[in-house]
Amino acid sequence: MSGIIEARGLCKVYRRGREEIQALKNVDFCVKAGEFVSIIGPSGSGKTALLNMLGCLDTPSSGSLKLNGIEIAGQKERDLVKIRRENIGFVFQQFYLMPTLTARENIELPLLFSKKKRSAKRIDEVLQMVGLADRGDHLPGQLSGGEMQRVAIGRALINDPKIVLADEPTGNLDSVTSEMIFGLFSELNRRGLTLVVVTHNLDLASRAEKMYTLRDGRIVGCEERA
Amino acid sequence: MNFFTLAAKNLLRRRGRTMLTVLGVAIAVSVLFSLLAINSGYEKELNKEVNSLGVHILAVPKGCPYEAASLIMHGGVIPKYLSDSDYRNVSTIAGVELAAPMLLHQFMKKDEKTGVSTPHIIYGINMEETRELKPWWTVEGRFFSDNETGVMLVGRGLADKENLSVGQVLPVGPKKENFTIVGILGRTGDQDDQFHFFPLKEAQRVFNKQGMITTIAVKVEDVSRIAAVSQEMEKIPDIQVVTMTQIMGTIMNLAGSARSLLLTVIAIALIISAFGIINTLLMSVNERTREFGMMKAIGASGLDIGKMVLAETVFITLSGGILGTVAAVVGSSIIESFVKGMLPYSPGGSLIAYSPELVGFALAFSVLLGLVCGIYPAVKSSRLSPMEAIRGGFE
Repeated sequence: MSGIIEARGLCKVYRRGREEIQALKNVDFCVKAGEFVSIIGPSGSGKTALLNMLGCLDTPSSGSLKLNGIEIAGQKERDLVKIRRENIGFVFQQFYLMPTLTARENIELPLLFSKKKRSAKRIDEVLQMVGLADRGDHLPGQLSGGEMQRVAIGRALINDPKIVLADEPTGNLDSVTSEMIFGLFSELNRRGLTLVVVTHNLDLASRAEKMYTLRDGRIVGCEERA
Repeated sequence: MNFFTLAAKNLLRRRGRTMLTVLGVAIAVSVLFSLLAINSGYEKELNKEVNSLGVHILAVPKGCPYEAASLIMHGGVIPKYLSDSDYRNVSTIAGVELAAPMLLHQFMKKDEKTGVSTPHIIYGINMEETRELKPWWTVEGRFFSDNETGVMLVGRGLADKENLSVGQVLPVGPKKENFTIVGILGRTGDQDDQFHFFPLKEAQRVFNKQGMITTIAVKVEDVSRIAAVSQEMEKIPDIQVVTMTQIMGTIMNLAGSARSLLLTVIAIALIISAFGIINTLLMSVNERTREFGMMKAIGASGLDIGKMVLAETVFITLSGGILGTVAAVVGSSIIESFVKGMLPYSPGGSLIAYSPELVGFALAFSVLLGLVCGIYPAVKSSRLSPMEAIRGGFE
């Protein structure tokens, strides 16, 4: 069975002044539909570079990356936007909620960009799903860290993506809240969502079905949970 | 929620900064709007005023420039005089329907309460001829006849300003002779509202100007013969002839250069406020780099981001435009007096003529200003790489 994410010989080179930095070196990586995958690794190991490429925020310098069967390498930004909208949901460490928008409006925001019809029912459904049914009209400033991250997860889900990518989703949260967020991820995964989570938290990472270890731009380990 | 409400909410995050920028635009637009309103009102009022003089040709003392002639319309006083014989010569020229001699005298009067001195102007006139020139004159009380002594008429505006009433007696001239107000002119809407009118002979006597007149206003029988009549008048040695068309032309020229000066000032103000807007936007775009990265990650295209930034700019300039237009209408009297002070000659009536087209233009202009100012920040933000935007670099 082919994966929803398939990377072959993936390389990424950045330039900083004259210096050339190889963020990813010949990475092969495969995620099956419905899998829950975590990626760990020290700072500078290329985790974020990989995640950005999976999220079509960046294109590979060389190699091949297929998302849902579509080749990403060499695509124009205009086409990447479409692929991103239809397939990917993003969750960030810093939540990145709009401070002037309520929880409900923040969740609604991607619909504004995808020009999809906004139904109040769908938004209620997502609020329910992330456990914020009664907090929809609160502004981010009135929410706790965990609640804010749940709003962000709701925002990632609203377009009904096939894959959710999370970059250090618990990096700004205490352990109890982190636990709850991971619980939510597991729940979403049980419903069939493909999840890729980059984290420093080994304890949480080890609870994914697969845990990749990245070091110096290479995948140096892959543990599968029994 | 749409792009416009999103943009509006973004702007509310920096209330103070947004308000200041809006204020800058408002000031520029309100001045622009007023100037354009004045531009369209000016010519109309000037024409009306020149017609209301009921005069085709003015005879003034030789050496007197056109500017002086235009001053005469508002009561400027020239230290040179024509004589009664000039008047008689003019009135006998063929084609002259009416010639009205006038003596102008100006004096400063100190307000008892405020201590501020204001110029007062006295016109010595022959009533019969003047009423033929100005058939619309009405009076509360009565007109005087040319041989009366110790009587005067005052304009309505002057009467209101100084609380004058019919029957009141005012001391006039170096000997403080008593003059009775026998009538107050009905409001004419032009400069006549502000003057004192004396019988010509009385004015000459009181101010020691026996036999002297400042100007002769001439009405011709046939308007097409103005040139011929004025040529004939030129033959009288002391007289310089100025036709109303010449005065109009001179005034329009002077006003034109004053207006282009004003327009330049406004253009500079607009450019400064445009740079202010661009600067504000660039600042807010830079501050929100990561937010834009996030938006791209959740499905916004570069175009979406650009549109949002552009919507924010247009929101600022349109609010400024609306505020400025409203302020211009509300504060029109202040702006008008400012502009009147700048112009070398301004008609007595209200100069400001608003029209829906003008409001439409001011608002369209502010939208255009927004589009022009927003384009660079919009392009800049739309080109942000989402990944660099989120991390501000890379790991």
